[in-house]
Formats: sequence, C-alpha cells, structure tokens
Amino acid sequence: MNEGLLGRRVGIALGWAALASLVVLGVLGLVVAPPDAVQGDAQRLMYLHVPAAWLAYLAFGVTAVASALYLWPRTRSVVWDRVAGASAELGVLFTGLTLVLGSLWGRPVWGIWWAWDARLVTTAVLFFLYVGYLALRRIPGAGREKRCAIAALIAFVDVPVVHFSVEWWRTLHQQGTVFNEELSAQIHGKMALALWWSVLAFTLLYVYLLDRRYRLEALDADRDERELERAIAERLAEAEPARVEAGARS
Amino acid sequence: MKGRAIGAAAVCAVAVVAIVVLGVVLSKNVVYFRTVSEAVEERAGGGGDGRLRLAGEVVPGSITETARGVRFEVTDGEATADVIHRGDPPDLFKEGAPVVCEGRWSESDVFASDRILIKHGSEYEPPDVDSGEKASGDKASA
Repeated sequence: MNEGLLGRRVGIALGWAALASLVVLGVLGLVVAPPDAVQGDAQRLMYLHVPAAWLAYLAFGVTAVASALYLWPRTRSVVWDRVAGASAELGVLFTGLTLVLGSLWGRPVWGIWWAWDARLVTTAVLFFLYVGYLALRRIPGAGREKRCAIAALIAFVDVPVVHFSVEWWRTLHQQGTVFNEELSAQIHGKMALALWWSVLAFTLLYVYLLDRRYRLEALDADRDERELERAIAERLAEAEPARVEAGARS
Repeated sequence: MKGRAIGAAAVCAVAVVAIVVLGVVLSKNVVYFRTVSEAVEERAGGGGDGRLRLAGEVVPGSITETARGVRFEVTDGEATADVIHRGDPPDLFKEGAPVVCEGRWSESDVFASDRILIKHGSEYEPPDVDSGEKASGDKASA
C-alpha cells in the first residue's frame, strides 16, 4: 500500500539526496566558506539559521495553500487537510530551530541571547500561532478540518510580517542579506554558495519529511478506520447470540 | 444558533480590542533603538529621562579604559555622544564597531550605559588577508 505523496522509490531517493546534500553543506559551511571578517566562526550558524527560517516560511506557505484548497469546494479532499497538518508540524519544528540557532548566534555576536525586537518577537509569535494550530487539529468534532483550514489561513498573516519586520521597524536583527530592498546579495562568493546550497539541502529535506509525515498521517487514519470497523464487528457479534437467545426464550 | 452568533461577535470584539491595544503599544515600543542624533535632539528638548537604547558607531580613537569599564564616543555621522560604560564590553567591541548601548542620560548629558550590544549589518565577507582574494571584489551578484 502506498499512501504517500510521492512514490515509494522517489521518497527513498529523495531521502538519500537530502542526506547527501546535508553532508555537502557541512563541507561547504565548515571548510569551503571562509569565516566572517567581524563575527568569525559564529557566522557559520547562518548556514543553518537562514535555511531553517526559509523552511518555516515554505512549510507555512504550503499549509496555507493546502488549507485554501481544502476550503475550496471543488478541490476539497482529506488529502489537503493532511498535507496542511504535516507541513505545519515541520514549520513549527523549523521555526523552533530558527529561534534556537538565532539565539546561539546572538550570544557571541550581539552579546545577548534574546532581544525584544520586532523580528524576534514576530517569529516567536509565529511559533506559538502554529503550536496553537496543531493543538486545534487535535480537537475532534464535526467541521474540524474546516475550522483548522481557516485558522491556518489566519495564522499565515504573520509570515510576511516576520519577513518584512526588519524593513518596517527598526530592529537589532540585521536586514535581509539576499532578499533586501536592492535585491543585491551583500555576501562574499563562497559564503553565498554555502548559503544557497543550504537552502537547496533544507528544501530537499523538507519535501522528504513532508512525504514521510503525510504517509504516517494516512496510515494513522487508516488504522483508526480499521479499529472502528473491528469494534463495530465485535459489537455486532456480541449482539448476535444475545438476540438468538432472546428469540429462543420468547 | 443565537448563542453562537453572540459568542462569535464577542470573540471578534475582543480580537479588535486586542489588535488596537497591541497597535498602540507597538507603535511606541517597536523601535528597538534610537540613533545618536535622535537621542541627542530629544535630550536637548528636555526629554530622554527614562532608560533607552542608543545606536551608532564607536568613534575611532575615542576608547579609554576606566576603573569600572570603558569610556568612548558614539556617532551616527551627524551627532556624537559621550558614553561611559560600566562593566566589560563584549568581545566584538572595538573602534568603528556598530553598537547599541543600553542605559540613561546622566545629569551632565553623558550616556551612562550598562549594556553594550553589537548591531551586526547584513554584509558578510572574509577577513582581508594578504594571500586571499580581495574581499570586496568577489561578491555574488545573485
């Protein structure tokens, strides 16, 4: 039985490709890319922090699109609900990773673990919004999928706010290096290579994990259904002899 | 159904109030720091009594060590302020470094700082070593 988004073989190949590209990223980030003139080796955390943040955006974007597709009557399918849930889980994971890695970087470079500036606060809000969304998914009842899809669309409003927070407000966090207003990357060639590679590697990892998580979700639903069927069958089997007995007595 | 409608309206009302309150609070506090000229101007106008963050560049040649920390000047190109910092400055603190100082104005209009943060820019390049390629000439155009 194949209940994944991708074919079984494609999924496995993707897993290996993601692993290999992460190994290459390790070499690029630790050996090929030079240390930063000001920050030294602490700057290398960028090759994890930036792609993690990118994945958070991507994952929540996929959740939003899948939720919209679920809400649209013509495309409504349990598939979209599962994609939305699986992607949101990955988004929460990578938002958490972004926050932790950023904090580890902030201590040696800024001098503090945390700053109450607009970028950091809106990112923390993003994390808790989607933790809330995941909690909402766990609440059963009629219309659960619809409710969650609407919540996912509302939560997505914070994604552009996080991204543009460094432009809209004055923050301690630096502005975008690549996607800045001038759209010119202010980064040295080999560092840029490691950064772009990290985005590629993390994206592969995301697609792989999304497929796996989706598969798990589908298997879970399948198991629930089978358990329900078995429970009904058991109850029927229990009721059957009782009825026969009752019939014999009358 | 009527109860639900009232509930939904209540939730919306609370949300609107929360957004307005947040907006008012944020518009005042969302600026993480003040530039030196903003802070100096505010001080000259009689304000700036509370705690604030002052951002600028450390003026080269202005750093002197004191018994309790360092004394230096910080500038944003337009205005300059004297800063007396208590405690050890961070590792990346040096001449020309972009800093954010936390503290308050003393009576003599010297900024008494008790925390220095380094505000890093969005530019990344390797250290300029003689054997390596020129740092500024090899930037990606992506």
